[in-house]
Amino acid sequence: MQSSSLVKQDAIVVKHAKYSPVREFWRAFKKQKAALVASIFIVLLIVIAFVGPYIVPYDPFEPDYNAILQTPSAKHLAGTDEYGRDIFSRLIVGSKISLTVSFSAVFLGLILGTILGLISGYFGGWIDKIIMRTCDVLFSFPDLLLAIAIVAILGPGINNVIIAVMVFSIPSFARLVRGATLNAKENVYVEAAKSMGASHVRIMYKHIFPETISELIIFVTMRVGTAILAASSLSFLGLGASPEMPEWGVMLSSGRDYLGTATHVVLMPGIAIFLTVLAFNLIGDGLRDVLDPKIKNN
Amino acid sequence: MNENVLEVINLETIFKRDQQEIKILRGVNFSIQRGEVLGLVGESGSGKSITSLSIMKLFHGTSGEIKNGSISFHGTDLTKLDEASMRQLRGKKISMIFQEPMTSLNPVLKIGKQLTESIEMHMKLTRKQSTAHAIKTLKSVGIGRAEELMNEYPHQLSGGMRQRVMIAMAMACEPELLIADEPTTALDVTIQAQILELMKQLKEKNDTAILLITHDLGVVAEMCDRVVVMYAGQVVEEADVFELFANPKHPYTKGLINSVPKIGDRKEVLDSIPGNVPSPQNMPQGCKFAPRCSNAMEKCHEHEPEIETITESHFCSCWLYASKEVALHAK
Amino acid sequence: MQNKLLQVKNLKKQFQVAGGMFEKKEFVNAVIDVSFEIKEGTTFSLVGESGCGKSTTGRLITRLIDPTSGSITLNGNEVGYLKQSELGDLRETVQMIFQDPYASLNPRMKVKEIIEEPLIIHTKLSKGERENLVLEMLNIVGLNTEYANRYAHEFSGGQRQRIGIARALITKPKLIIADEPVSALDVSIQSQILNLLKKLQQEYQLSYLFISHDLSVVEHISNEIGVMYLGSIVEIATKEALFVNPLHPYTKALIASVPVADPLLRRKKETLKGDIPNPKNPPTGCTFHTRCPIAQELCKLEVPKMRQITEQQSVACHFVEKIEEV
Repeated sequence: MQSSSLVKQDAIVVKHAKYSPVREFWRAFKKQKAALVASIFIVLLIVIAFVGPYIVPYDPFEPDYNAILQTPSAKHLAGTDEYGRDIFSRLIVGSKISLTVSFSAVFLGLILGTILGLISGYFGGWIDKIIMRTCDVLFSFPDLLLAIAIVAILGPGINNVIIAVMVFSIPSFARLVRGATLNAKENVYVEAAKSMGASHVRIMYKHIFPETISELIIFVTMRVGTAILAASSLSFLGLGASPEMPEWGVMLSSGRDYLGTATHVVLMPGIAIFLTVLAFNLIGDGLRDVLDPKIKNN
Repeated sequence: MNENVLEVINLETIFKRDQQEIKILRGVNFSIQRGEVLGLVGESGSGKSITSLSIMKLFHGTSGEIKNGSISFHGTDLTKLDEASMRQLRGKKISMIFQEPMTSLNPVLKIGKQLTESIEMHMKLTRKQSTAHAIKTLKSVGIGRAEELMNEYPHQLSGGMRQRVMIAMAMACEPELLIADEPTTALDVTIQAQILELMKQLKEKNDTAILLITHDLGVVAEMCDRVVVMYAGQVVEEADVFELFANPKHPYTKGLINSVPKIGDRKEVLDSIPGNVPSPQNMPQGCKFAPRCSNAMEKCHEHEPEIETITESHFCSCWLYASKEVALHAK
Repeated sequence: MQNKLLQVKNLKKQFQVAGGMFEKKEFVNAVIDVSFEIKEGTTFSLVGESGCGKSTTGRLITRLIDPTSGSITLNGNEVGYLKQSELGDLRETVQMIFQDPYASLNPRMKVKEIIEEPLIIHTKLSKGERENLVLEMLNIVGLNTEYANRYAHEFSGGQRQRIGIARALITKPKLIIADEPVSALDVSIQSQILNLLKKLQQEYQLSYLFISHDLSVVEHISNEIGVMYLGSIVEIATKEALFVNPLHPYTKALIASVPVADPLLRRKKETLKGDIPNPKNPPTGCTFHTRCPIAQELCKLEVPKMRQITEQQSVACHFVEKIEEV
């Protein structure tokens, strides 16, 4: 028996525009002007990183002993370094290294940290204690010191820089996700899923992880900035990229001998690092205003 | 004839969202006399709580604003008062009790401090006198261990106790008007019965006018002298409480009364009102109840009915009782 | 004679509220001693005030939490101590409807995804088969099938509760545990949902464990009722017996406290004095003695046993007979 009266009751459809989370996000994000400009900058940087090697005006590795330490001019937009290599070309090629290193390190840290955070927050008890105390131990070292120690053990090189930056990212991600998980698991719909017989993995993946996404997105953008800075610092100290590579930190390091005579050799890679890190932080701030539920409600 | 303590005339309150004005109250009219309990009944979204906030002008933190109409309290139009003069009235002449006492008690201050503060401010008493007065008020709401309680924090009390303290705070300065917004909804039935009984006693003693906002028709029947039924930001019916339950006119009021299960009433299927309350952004044209109304006629969907006098103390806004016809122009 | 679908015997649940490795442990008895049974196709209600343990009992039966002692038998099989991995059967036959229709549906999921989730967990149906069942379910609970692709937060409380009911029914369960399913809804919507629950019960021979604080709703929907106070059932009776002739002084007070929606029946209430005691520190003997109008010395000392008074009615009070004389 199909009750027609009940069906009819809902015939009064409340009409409103179809809701879409993506559209909603974009509508709010458009209002964040600084973040919008920063995003355009980062998108351009990513494009340049990929097509850069094909469009650079000079070979970034080719020395030109007739044009050593030239200041910026129409010919060399960012001047030349101590071997006469075009700094502008080196910066463009170097952006690929900086972005790859930071993105892959943060991405790996994100995956491992999220899994650990979910497990820790969801199950609680001794599992939680072990994971969180381990994170505390990692937290007790300053980020860079920890990275230096890791590279010192593994030996210098780009891949080891990625591992080092990843390792010091894990505890931050784990702690963030654990906090969000503790909140999310109190939701009645999580209990509802349990009462339906959903497995732990399903509950974590379907009902808890989505609750952490907005906080993760904000944190990832901030973290990429930190990672770029850390990778450059390691290279600056000679623990990362090899000296002939056009990595921004390496360029900074090799230019410091000429700080008194040719400031631009240090200034140019410095500005590149500064702008990129700033852009990621601005995006992170903008995303926070849009996505963070604690701020959204005000 | 008794004097009106409060007279609300054509009150319109709006909220702003994304540069849009959303009308929550669309012309509310009612009055309360001295020593009278007026019930304001409606479902969520009917605007009953916004009415109380408008009277108190408690919009801080929201975009609410009184757009039109007047609220006259002993002849003073509250809509024209500034915040400082409102503050003089609040807690002294007009008090309010909320549904969730915890949200209106400060968790880090002792009960005694919270009580004496407003007494000192409004009644111009010394510290010692106001403490004595606070203890007297607590005793009057049936709290035996009043002296001890003065030194306790809100979280140490049970829900019923907190609501008693709230009532004590509200009654401390012997207000002329008490606005009680769902005062017993968060409480258990046996505690609710205690609190309702207490409110009745206090009213008898001080001749306070009470505006009782509730969705519970049982509480209305138990407490009120007169009832105002609200739907979608308007008053749809107003009547003496006995008249309203015996002879409801508006189809919404009828539906509301019939959909409550009553103890001892062996109905197999409950009457219910189909559909849902319309949202303020999507108000239907004409009578706002028409889409859910089983008596809806063509004109109901086109024109809003005016409030009609049924008897001297019974008013209803519905085309079924209209005294004049309206021309229909089919579009 | 109808079959007994669920039997609960001497169920007890103790929560640890304080203490740890180095401190003294403290416990609260949320459920002290609860026994009842539900026959196929009928509704058993647990009614009581906050902190009486009615919701905890519901969560024990669905095994969201583990009982401390006592037994829960479903279709004759003990399920109280099965491991979570062995609960497949129970999870399919017993489903829950929750109080808060806003919190119990995941706001990030579409209506379709919410309703089909039990199918994904318990069956191997294809996507198309699941979708058909979801649309059928939407029809049954009186929702427009076009709603399937919308998000749950776009709906009003009543519509959301219908979605919750659709989710509970899709695996064709035998027993529905409804924890205050209408108390968050407006009265006009409340009656829609109560009618729907009754209709579904008749069509699908469902049994309900209905948990509520609202006596008038309970009277409307139940066949049998258990009245709980501080973790124990104090009276258990058929609906007719309980409302016509309540025996336990607490039941009497509870029924008398409900405001009646008729001003002609307005009366001075004989209200119960005092507050509900803190469950952490319950009174000795009969837990109700601190508020009971007829309490005697014996009540402070001895916990009253559940006694069958008539075929329809059992009560745990030392002085039932005395009340009847008064």
